Amino acid sequence: MSRNEPDGAELEALLARCAAGDRSALETLYARVAPLLLAVLLRILRRRDAAEDALQDVFVSVWQRARQFDPIRGRALAWLVSMARYRAIDLQRATRPAVALSEVSTLEPQLQSQRRCLMLAYEEGLTHSEIARAVNEPLGTVKSWVRRSLIALRRCLES
Amino acid sequence: MNYQQAELLDRLAAEYTLGTLRGRARRRFERLCADSAAARSAVYRWEDHWSVLSRTVQPVEPSPQAWAAVRRRLFGDDAAAPAAPRVRRWRRWQLAAAAGLVAVALVVGLIVRQPAPPPLQTLAVLGTDTAHPVWRLERRLPLTSLTIEVVGTVPEAAGKSYELWALPRGAAPVSLGVLPAAGSAERTLSERQRTALLAADKVAVSVEPFGGSPTGSPTGPIVIVTNVPAAG
Repeated sequence: MSRNEPDGAELEALLARCAAGDRSALETLYARVAPLLLAVLLRILRRRDAAEDALQDVFVSVWQRARQFDPIRGRALAWLVSMARYRAIDLQRATRPAVALSEVSTLEPQLQSQRRCLMLAYEEGLTHSEIARAVNEPLGTVKSWVRRSLIALRRCLES
Repeated sequence: MNYQQAELLDRLAAEYTLGTLRGRARRRFERLCADSAAARSAVYRWEDHWSVLSRTVQPVEPSPQAWAAVRRRLFGDDAAAPAAPRVRRWRRWQLAAAAGLVAVALVVGLIVRQPAPPPLQTLAVLGTDTAHPVWRLERRLPLTSLTIEVVGTVPEAAGKSYELWALPRGAAPVSLGVLPAAGSAERTLSERQRTALLAADKVAVSVEPFGGSPTGSPTGPIVIVTNVPAAG
């Protein structure tokens, strides 16, 4: 991703043009970020057809809500990725086949369990109880790991 | 706002953005965000934190139909998917199929479940050999949807997906979606899929990267090709 990460200033400019009703800006924005957003959606929804449908929904929302994007409050890429993730999370229950957990649980065994919990939630869109099954720990343990990891993460990000 | 409230908002925002806040709690927090600037700014802060993680994701090219569909939904124009795509891939794919990657064609003719209403017909049974059916495809007529049911053991394919293709005569394959690994799935067919399936005398299954072909055309080995009856 780093080799072709979209340029933040360009994305902000494109969103501003979308907000002003410029359709060609949406097309350029799509070309810049749709492959990244589709990858994010696929990780969570795990089905190509569902992910592509969600991608459409995301771009429809981007167009409709571009005016709400305020560069002061966050980065454009973070806004776009979040929109895709929230859409996937909302669709997830209905569409995701409940099969891949064993596969997920073998991913990156070198990661420490606590950090793995966060990655499983963020990247795969797993719920607390799905994570508990994937890492084979009690639900309460996983919940408190997630909470503690978030506190630690915030300290580290904000220091 | 006191310190404890700020802590609570931050924790909720963290779990909301992470995705572990679910169901009613998730909807409640969204409503809170609509009213509370403090909640919103906690969310934006966490979204920024998390976005660093997305840099590790390998982008996946969407199919051309996805953009056409966005345009149609927003602007009502019928930006047709680019025509005549991927002829080269198709040839390579035919070659691969001919070269023996075809495991099996298990054809089951047209079995009509009688009497008619609602008309659901078995289109094909897909399997690795005649003794081991894996998926059953059924269609409704008029052709609007396809039901796919797992009827056997889906062969292990770690990190891969099986994708179903309509092979319309004289045209490139059209994806009918990723085959389910368990249970059954009903797929509403797009106009393009419908047309392709009506013109198809065969369907095929290829092994693709997890989630399906990244290009909109088959990229992996073909493991099943089977005849399908003409639409009656």
